[in-house]
Amino acid sequence: MNIIVVGCGRVGAEVAYGLFSKGHKITVVDQDAAAFRNLPEDFRGLTLQGDVLTQDVLLRAGIERADALAAVTPSDSVNTVLGHIARVVFKVPHVVVRNFDPRKRSMHSAFGMQVISPVSMGAQRIEEILLGEPLHAVFRAGDGTVGIYQMTVPKAWHGKVLRELLPQEKYRVVALTRGDHSAMPKPGGPVESGDILHVGTTREDADALRERLEKLRKD
Amino acid sequence: MFVIIAGGGRTGAHLALLLGAQNHKVHLIEDRPDVLARIHQELPTEVIYQGDPTNLRMLELAGIRECQALAACTTVDADNLALCYMSRDRYGVPRTIARINNPRNAWLFDKKFHVDVAINQADLMAKLIAEEMSLGDMMTLVKLRKGEVALVEEKIAPGALAAGKLVRDLPLPKDCTLAAVIRKDAVLTVRGDTVLQPGDEILAVVSSQQQAALASLLGPPAGAIQPAPPPGRKHK
Repeated sequence: MNIIVVGCGRVGAEVAYGLFSKGHKITVVDQDAAAFRNLPEDFRGLTLQGDVLTQDVLLRAGIERADALAAVTPSDSVNTVLGHIARVVFKVPHVVVRNFDPRKRSMHSAFGMQVISPVSMGAQRIEEILLGEPLHAVFRAGDGTVGIYQMTVPKAWHGKVLRELLPQEKYRVVALTRGDHSAMPKPGGPVESGDILHVGTTREDADALRERLEKLRKD
Repeated sequence: MFVIIAGGGRTGAHLALLLGAQNHKVHLIEDRPDVLARIHQELPTEVIYQGDPTNLRMLELAGIRECQALAACTTVDADNLALCYMSRDRYGVPRTIARINNPRNAWLFDKKFHVDVAINQADLMAKLIAEEMSLGDMMTLVKLRKGEVALVEEKIAPGALAAGKLVRDLPLPKDCTLAAVIRKDAVLTVRGDTVLQPGDEILAVVSSQQQAALASLLGPPAGAIQPAPPPGRKHK
């Protein structure tokens, strides 16, 4: 794929190098030529220094033929404006923007942008580990309302039926891992203590489940 | 009218003063502490909303749902674009006006981001300066329809084609109307039987394509050597 990465800070360089390593054609754009030093020496994509919102720079980056664009500069408004141009003007099929300052997240939502918040995601994960929570998110879809969470089956649930423990209208169990074998579990099947479950659910219902598990742990 | 101004720099603060003086309701949003300190001395407290103007909650607090116009005057072009887009798309603000900081970003300031009117300061200044250089004594007073038509002022030079002529006999270019004559500090309306005299200052409404044609009627005759005008001659 032809992929444009705008912004060559830590995130941009990481994304660009990762995609380059998988064999994609990468063009990295940054207004500051010194930023390209963040790229590993064996990176063989194109680098383009210029004002990232100007038409000639975007055209030179090949935005008309791009299959995907990532806007990962440290400015939220620049990222969302770039994403909007890529989608609406140049019809780039895959566009993702980075949310830099979590307080500015609402701006990306207003544009209906596919947005990633490395800061918020990192902070949430750190919080989960610090609190030793029995349930943690491994994937968040869209703005994070729905996610996939990982949990370990507690002793008190041993031998019970999955759909009674986790009613299907609220919890979709997508994987059950026992030892190193994983399967898509039958709703009517029993679970064993120590099984690892991956559950698709909303943030609200995840909070409710976390409370149940914490209560079991205390009992 | 109720107007929300985003950005309290020189442009935003000056606009707030101007609109306030005309009894319009104005709310100005700004979050830079140094700028806030300055505008608190210039503007009434109830006008100033302290916070990030690109934050939706801040816009709602300032009354974005009720306002009739948004003026995006921040020093960041991407912020101004995002502001116009969100104001229309989210809140249905009837009119959006944005300031362009970098002329090279001008291509973005249109319906792509719901910008109704874009003010390109650098471009306006540059064009005014270029006009001053190319058209001698003609000065643009106001631009209408985004600069397609302008109200201009020009003094009738001695020996000009128009000097001593009846207005009805002038071969005026099309898309051009003489609006008024300033003669010895009196303003006269222009009629067909008005005789133009050297030294008269003419106010005319003219399309941008016809400005040169009008200048050739009112200005010094072709081939005449123009003396270098003394600096500041326009200011009395």
